[in-house]
Amino acid sequence: MVTQLAAGRVFDFSRVVGRTAVSGMGFTQPVAVAITGGDLVYVLNRGWEQISNVPWNRTQNGIRVGMVTIGDEPGDEEFVGDFAKRGDDPGELIWPTGMALDSHGNVYITDEWLNRVSIFDSRGKFQRMWGAEGAGEGQFSGPSGIAIDQHDELYIVDSRNHRVQRFSKNGVFLDQWGGLGAAAGKLDSPWGITIDQQGDVYVADHKNHRVQKFAPNGRPLAEFGSYGTGRGQLNRPSDVAVDSDGDVYVCDWANHRVQIFGPDGRFVASFRGDAQELSKWAKMSLEANPDAIRRRREVPSLEAEWRFSFPTGVTFDLVKNRLIVTDCQRGRLQIYNKLKDYVQPARTI
Amino acid sequence: MTSDKIALMAHLMRRGGFGAGREELEARAAKGYEATVEDLVNPREEPVDRYEFLRYHPGYIRHITSPGMGSANWLHTLINTQRPLEEKMVLFWHHVFATGASKVDHWHELVAQVDMFRERGMGNYRDMLVALAKNPAMIYWLDNCDNHGYAVNENWGRELLELFSMGVGNYTEEDVQECSRAFTGWTIAPVPPRIYYGRFDWHFDYKEEDHDDGEKTFLGHTGRFNGEDIINIVCQQPATAQFVARHLYNFFVADEPQVPAWSATPPQDPEAIDTLAKTFMDSGYEIAPVLRVLFNSDFFKNARFAKIKSPAEVVVGTLRFAGGAEFPAPGIGNLAKNTGYMGQELLNPPSVEGWHTGVEWINSGALMKRINFAAEMLGDVDRPGIQDIIGRLQVQGELPPEEFVDSCLDLIGPLEVKPETRLQLVEHATEKGALRWGTEREVGVSTERVGEILKLIASVREYQYS
Repeated sequence: MVTQLAAGRVFDFSRVVGRTAVSGMGFTQPVAVAITGGDLVYVLNRGWEQISNVPWNRTQNGIRVGMVTIGDEPGDEEFVGDFAKRGDDPGELIWPTGMALDSHGNVYITDEWLNRVSIFDSRGKFQRMWGAEGAGEGQFSGPSGIAIDQHDELYIVDSRNHRVQRFSKNGVFLDQWGGLGAAAGKLDSPWGITIDQQGDVYVADHKNHRVQKFAPNGRPLAEFGSYGTGRGQLNRPSDVAVDSDGDVYVCDWANHRVQIFGPDGRFVASFRGDAQELSKWAKMSLEANPDAIRRRREVPSLEAEWRFSFPTGVTFDLVKNRLIVTDCQRGRLQIYNKLKDYVQPARTI
Repeated sequence: MTSDKIALMAHLMRRGGFGAGREELEARAAKGYEATVEDLVNPREEPVDRYEFLRYHPGYIRHITSPGMGSANWLHTLINTQRPLEEKMVLFWHHVFATGASKVDHWHELVAQVDMFRERGMGNYRDMLVALAKNPAMIYWLDNCDNHGYAVNENWGRELLELFSMGVGNYTEEDVQECSRAFTGWTIAPVPPRIYYGRFDWHFDYKEEDHDDGEKTFLGHTGRFNGEDIINIVCQQPATAQFVARHLYNFFVADEPQVPAWSATPPQDPEAIDTLAKTFMDSGYEIAPVLRVLFNSDFFKNARFAKIKSPAEVVVGTLRFAGGAEFPAPGIGNLAKNTGYMGQELLNPPSVEGWHTGVEWINSGALMKRINFAAEMLGDVDRPGIQDIIGRLQVQGELPPEEFVDSCLDLIGPLEVKPETRLQLVEHATEKGALRWGTEREVGVSTERVGEILKLIASVREYQYS
């Protein structure tokens, strides 16, 4: 099914954008996506280790931020450009993990190896960076998810310190919460983060197999999910997004799906990936390879091609009312619309 | 704690694992030898959290074609496992059932194969052979996907008998043909091409319409055999028990000739092989009871430093001892290539015959790589394992050169070296006199000297032996 009616909502699979590629029209292990007010999205590519016999900071390939306009229909996508590259010099990245935009369109990227935040302008020109390794206030051990509120204050998941830290946009430490543990308010290797329209904060509590909701001051408000593979259960969630209705979308990373919860925490629906049509760029790759065309025609079921494989990042586009998922292992985005005006056909049709 | 108990425990942990630091050796020796064997054979520690590695290195989930680097996530497990014999058995079966990336070209399928070895490596051999026959990497490696009822391919059938069970001389060409017929239709399902969304996982597929269901005669048995029937007959053969036992002896006890020579060269200790083979048969082809008998035997206990370490043992043993590589830092793919530089590229053996072992591990190039790698790690005084040695030396107070050298040899193993080797190390240590820790400056100088002497120990002949 590509249209899913669940608990009064209608989710409709829209399309897939991307293919695996280490530059240009495609992505390399995409882990996060950020959307501007317009159609432009930034896709953060983790890259992979590929180059032998070089120092540790030169071995990866494909690290970059891709800029793509995604339009509204299949085939609308256009590659705009990319910026940043591997390395540990200013403006370079080793383990890029989280990405968010401030009110001026500047792009903030966390690096969970270099323990810093790098800031680029909306066209990808490097601006500045800050951050240092450690466990003290304002220091990092594995900064991963990042979210920016309406006042341009930054909430950064400090994963290996098992906490969330809040900063001014210039990197001045404001406060923190969390600490290692499984009780309410504690965290274990948290990863992704988002902020809803009320300013409440949601954290993918990775090794506790849940999402926790916090007030802006860090007071725990609610939690979603428990360990498992069933409905509403999670296995190492990696990211979370919230729509304008308060529905919560969780990247259920090791279960290869997205789990959706209502504002009250009740399970609503699950996406497993619905990429039944190839993306525009994937078709280009396929059509250039006659052997690949023949092989694909031999495959008894193409279902493996549709499904998520370690989906890692989710973002909800409040303007277009759609969810964008970075399907990490498949080098692509899968996009689902949340329909408000769906007319259900008669059952007798 | 007597030094002999520690030395024997160190021997067990080198062979049944990848070595151990002094604190672990003391704890295990206090618990007792037989109890430690039992802990190794029935590990209760938590397995390595594989997701930890994949979370930081998603590119290794289905790694692209890149020689040597695709074994990085296995290296992470080798470094971090608290179930050392289980992982040693993974290495053992990878050597016996050698399958390589040079042809398979899908690292994640090879990783899936070693995951199967981890799951079954100390379990039932018959069940593992069935799993192996259904393993997609093996099916592709030995062309069973091209083994059809209408056109037989004998590659898998031949190697099953020659290299995976009985060994040359225990079957005929007709047996190979009939065995191969029984595995027709055992294949892998086609998957989408990798060029646009990356690699997809392979799966075993039995195509009944492609299977030759006719009557077959195999090793004197006649019937309409399918693959599992063949494996059942193979396991009943005394030659299979001898073959598995000799492999285990070669891997854990002492270097035997290379496998192709086994049909012509008898084992160096036939009685030991018979003991292991009998246990194998009596237990219904279970591996754990054989390992229990092996590690508790005198022939094992008396075989200290009788084997040349494999490159994997050098690299993993050194990294585990020195410490500091537990977190999968950037560059782990290049770290994983080190075994290859020494002649053992994990997940990429040179052929289905596996690696030639023993003295064939050593040549001038590989030896230099071994020494340089070990010296770099053991000479790095910031690594936690080396810090531990420095701390233990420091509490002994001022150490004359001889005691300094003896203590280092003891703490790094204990490593048993020839008198002339020890003399050379002592001569070097004597140049700068006793090791002193009285002032900050002396601590700095002594720390540097410990790193230096450990580098030298890493370069002695004896360090290459297990």
